[in-house]
Amino acid sequence: MSSSKLFVDLTIAFRNLVQHRRRTLFLGAAIAAVTALLVLLNGLSTGVRETMIDTATTLSTGHVNVGGFYKVTAGQAAPVVTNYKKVLAVVQKTVPEMAFAVHRGRGWAKLVSDTGSLQAGITGIDIRSEPKFSSVLQLESGKLEDLAQPGTILLFDNQAEKLGVKVGDALTISAPTTRGTNNTIDVRIVAIAHSLGLLSTWNCFIPIESLRALYQINQDATGVIQIMLNRKDFDHIPAIAARLRQALDQAGYRIMEPDPRAFWMKFQSVSREDWTGQKLDVTNWEDEISFMTWTLKALEGISYVLIVILVAIIIIGIMNTMWIAIRERTREIGTLRAIGMHRREVLWMFLLESLMLGLLATIVGVLMGAAVAAGLNAAHVPVPTGLQFFLMSPHLHLAVHGSLMVRAIVIITFVTGAAAFYPSLKAARLRPVVAMSHFG
Amino acid sequence: MKAIVSVREAVKNYILGNVVVPALRGVTLDVVEGDFLAIAGPSGSGKTTLLNLIGCVDTPTSGTVEVAGKDTRQLSERELTDLRLHTIGFIFQSFNLVSVLTVFQNIELPLLLQRKLNGPERAQRVAALLERVGLREYGAHRPSELSGGQRQRVAIARALVTRPQLVLADEPTANLDSVTGAHILDLMRELNRTEKTTFIFSTHDQSVMAHANAVVRLADGKLVDRVTPAQAAAETGLPA
Repeated sequence: MSSSKLFVDLTIAFRNLVQHRRRTLFLGAAIAAVTALLVLLNGLSTGVRETMIDTATTLSTGHVNVGGFYKVTAGQAAPVVTNYKKVLAVVQKTVPEMAFAVHRGRGWAKLVSDTGSLQAGITGIDIRSEPKFSSVLQLESGKLEDLAQPGTILLFDNQAEKLGVKVGDALTISAPTTRGTNNTIDVRIVAIAHSLGLLSTWNCFIPIESLRALYQINQDATGVIQIMLNRKDFDHIPAIAARLRQALDQAGYRIMEPDPRAFWMKFQSVSREDWTGQKLDVTNWEDEISFMTWTLKALEGISYVLIVILVAIIIIGIMNTMWIAIRERTREIGTLRAIGMHRREVLWMFLLESLMLGLLATIVGVLMGAAVAAGLNAAHVPVPTGLQFFLMSPHLHLAVHGSLMVRAIVIITFVTGAAAFYPSLKAARLRPVVAMSHFG
Repeated sequence: MKAIVSVREAVKNYILGNVVVPALRGVTLDVVEGDFLAIAGPSGSGKTTLLNLIGCVDTPTSGTVEVAGKDTRQLSERELTDLRLHTIGFIFQSFNLVSVLTVFQNIELPLLLQRKLNGPERAQRVAALLERVGLREYGAHRPSELSGGQRQRVAIARALVTRPQLVLADEPTANLDSVTGAHILDLMRELNRTEKTTFIFSTHDQSVMAHANAVVRLADGKLVDRVTPAQAAAETGLPA
């Protein structure tokens, strides 16, 4: 029958919450709702971020890239890495934790059909060494494996619509070579994929041999080596990029200064620089899509503002409730102080009550948020076309991971405790003689 | 006998806005160990203020109050709390039990605050006191399930559980009917005799004073005299 001090503290806290169940339920529901919103907002931004990473790292960038420019003359830069197999060997030795690495050609060209034309980025790939490509692309028509044949092309549906073409039709690709002359090749459309938002509006894929033929570059040249990492290493991307820079530098390569922009945004500044030959550029996925990560930052900014507002509401609610509770229990505080309870124990007693409420409510809130997120994911809620452009996904995707749930519980519980601290401190500092004579 | 409480020229003034309200005007009093002392006087005479000073929940404006040999004006807030926890037990007019705890937990609470005894020792101590105050069957009950007399017995058990040298009771029978009040005083008296605990209680009820072995009378914040219960009763014409 005997109790420990903590057990009695917990009993007092729990029973006081139960005794004022209407107030507890109201405040608990508010905390749970805010926690659920926090989980959903974070789940949305994490989902968008993951979709963005998945899509961007399939269409246009690796998690870490070794690209660069080759300049025949000081004023003419081409996005080419020469002798790429040697560079790849350094990469493989320096980043043993990578999932895999691919090399791709890069270019910018005019696509011409019988009925139209458009400017687009051309990516030269070896489809047989692209294990992730098929998991992200959703084909509307055609076969992906046909892209292994030279003289073929994969378009996105918006491009095909603009050009008025379908699978099996022919296109002419026209582009300036590294020597400054124009060259053309004819290609056959072998696959048309569903649009993946912004990146797929100006990207199409041809076999790398065809890209080399178009730009008249050597077999040992490529555009970029894209390094794909496992999810557990995503937090180490800056460190891996730094490690690579150092290793390539030691291997005798000239390395460009870190510049967090996409490669095509660097043409002008590189062309103005007074050097010729090869320089390598180590970038990460965020650099390569820096022109569009503002959508993610905007979403995170909006979430942040909303969360701050909601947390402020919780703080006001908790403080208000604590003031009421302390007013109601002033005589009890006086009694406890009189029989020998120290100030820190009174402080702990009230803090424990709010922490208990915060913990229970946030657990409920997190479960609610996770359930709603799971429901929305399962329902494949379509994203409006305008938003698809930025979210790179036709469906809403919320990523609610365990770490996010734990973080939400810890943050909101901490906030409830912090909000209760000042009223609890005031309660603890009440003089027993004043508290005992309190009425009302 | 050794004095457990020694009050010397104690003055207590309260400040209400710009007005100084004197509650005690130079009270001097000694209480010896094992005493069963009543502090009597009409409302506003300073009984509760004097008990607050002796109980270390307040300190005098001037003068000294020594409890168990310690001058309360020289002690820090923490030391005063420790003195209350280890030396003094409190019984309140309105019982002042923690409503959300069981009877057992209410009695055990001061022991938990002391952190001296382990679980089985605490359980044994509380069970013995529950037996002593006649509430053996009520350990698992909440205060709201008890009568006023039962609640005050719980409060007495809580006051005695740490085996304090001194128990202060502020009008302990004021909220009880006369029969229950008499039982409570009998219980306090018995504990005073058997445990040698010093009791100081305030009252303005003549029948309550009759249980004391001395009555200190206050009026307008001053100590008027110290008399026997019989003398106090004789002056009011009521039986002692």
